[in-house]
Amino acid sequence: MLIIQAIGFGVITAALIAIGAMGFTVQFGLTNVLNISYAGAMTVGAFATFLAEVVHLPLVVGVLLAPLAAAALTWVLGRTLFAFYARRGAGLFEMVMVTLAVNLILQFGIDAASREQIYRFAFPQGASLHVGPFTVTVTQLALVVVAVAVFGGLEFLLRRTRLGKALRAMAVEPRLARTCGIPTARIVTVVWLLSGALAGLAGLGYVINALTIDASVGTSFLPLVLAAAILGKAGSTRGAVLAALALGVVTEEVAAVGGAAYSTVAGFGILAVVLLTRPAALAGQTAGKAEITV
Amino acid sequence: MSFYISTLLVYFFVDVLLAWALNLQFGWGGIPNFALIMFQAAGAYAAAVVSLGPDTGAGAFQRYVFGSNLPFPVPLLVAAAAGGILALVVGVFALRRIRRDYQAAILLIVSLIAIGAVSNVVGLVNGSNGLTGVPKPLSGVLSGLTYDGYQWVYAAWAGLIALGVYLLVARLGGSAWGRALRAVRDNEDAAATIGLNPMGLRMQAFVIGGVIAGLSGGVLVEFLAAWSPAAWGYAETFAVFTAIILGGVGNNWGVVLGTLLVQVIFLQAPTFLPQIGYTGLIDALEWVLIGILWLLCLAIRPRGLIPERRHRAEPPPAGAVARATAAASPAPGMPQ
Repeated sequence: MLIIQAIGFGVITAALIAIGAMGFTVQFGLTNVLNISYAGAMTVGAFATFLAEVVHLPLVVGVLLAPLAAAALTWVLGRTLFAFYARRGAGLFEMVMVTLAVNLILQFGIDAASREQIYRFAFPQGASLHVGPFTVTVTQLALVVVAVAVFGGLEFLLRRTRLGKALRAMAVEPRLARTCGIPTARIVTVVWLLSGALAGLAGLGYVINALTIDASVGTSFLPLVLAAAILGKAGSTRGAVLAALALGVVTEEVAAVGGAAYSTVAGFGILAVVLLTRPAALAGQTAGKAEITV
Repeated sequence: MSFYISTLLVYFFVDVLLAWALNLQFGWGGIPNFALIMFQAAGAYAAAVVSLGPDTGAGAFQRYVFGSNLPFPVPLLVAAAAGGILALVVGVFALRRIRRDYQAAILLIVSLIAIGAVSNVVGLVNGSNGLTGVPKPLSGVLSGLTYDGYQWVYAAWAGLIALGVYLLVARLGGSAWGRALRAVRDNEDAAATIGLNPMGLRMQAFVIGGVIAGLSGGVLVEFLAAWSPAAWGYAETFAVFTAIILGGVGNNWGVVLGTLLVQVIFLQAPTFLPQIGYTGLIDALEWVLIGILWLLCLAIRPRGLIPERRHRAEPPPAGAVARATAAASPAPGMPQ
């Protein structure tokens, strides 16, 4: 029974990881910037809603503030700082160092501003529902619905619209895309905003589930998001969702059977096994020709 | 004051060990080891559990595995071995030929997950409370010394270890092995073409670096007498990166200068400042400044204050080439 219940929790965890991983991978696939400061953006999104709640703004406004704040932050960072280092010829690894430094600044800046405290995050959970063998709250169900909606929306955007077509063209061959008249600068802007908004949503979802908030929530959530994005292959939303499902269900199953302590270790186990058994999936990908486009 | 200076000296030597380990792995081997601090932690935990004595079982105030009472230098050897073994295990999957940004991200994930696991699995090394009461080495033999005197003896001991490790890394760096490692870093395909084994060389560098990092953890934990997950947050790794990037990646002395500036002067000096705000505010702001310092280094002096020396092969003396060619007269019919 516990094991079946854990599948339900697994799907909820997977929904959270999927929202984060989709936002990460869309941006990574296009710009090749492995953006560690995504963790900081998740924290900023979560804190935006938390602060809105502290000053008693309506719930809807608070929820909308999370993606908006994170999107604005990510866009500004992408367009100023990351673009600056890319212009100076930073390679793939140098960009990781830059985004990591930014994450350090964001995390400890928020840490200083929040007086290094852990706060209770009282988000209304709604009534408990019984769906088959699973018991979930309205809010948890809403998280899953949001994840599905984000996935559907992204799939539609990428495969059915002109913008999506341009985006995919640019991910494959940025210079050729620009030569063909695709407004690459505008598309990069769209992608930074989109990635940031999803980071904010993922961060908010994480603290809704965790019930507490502090400056390190983004960094605590980052390993799973990053693992899902890497396992799902850079740029692939479908891959990210599948990897998130696998990670979510496995980590919750392990938590149900062996105790919560081992759940993240299990998530990492999956990543290690894939690295060992299918290194080709990650190895070549675009090694050599991948270049930073911001 | 004397107490403060001897403490700083021990920190400095430990941080220099860590910086040389990273310089070997990242500076010469090109491995973006974002999990560096985890190897120091492995050494620290290993040294702690083998000197704490047997775990007294349920009800004890701290729980851990492998509790034993090994005599003085042995815990340090165990620490070094723990760092090396962990490096071997992590290296098996993290050193595969993958994009360097992926590699960095994977090592960062390893570090974050390791700290989460160690904090939550209480039976391993006492979870998030950590271990305390690690005995000071040779405190029986040196019992005649004052507390202050012992500090200085320990600082000298740490300095001796640092000297030994310096001789090792300097020797490695100048050797054929070191040149091969840098060749792999600069152009893996070309290095493989001339018969070098990139994966093997990287693994060797990673393990030697792991051993040095583990040793530094052992030296540190025997001095501090305590160790907990708070001591090895991922940010600590980046203090070391900042130090070697500021000082000069690939240059052992540049790395020492960077460590002195970042780890000792920058991160320790604020303890002299009067307390401002709440407890911990200065710590948090220090990390913000480390991040800014790092961005500035990358923008202004990416090669560091004392850059890596360009290694040039000595041109062979005149005539040597001709003699060598004559001696190795090719078999007839061999394609030239």
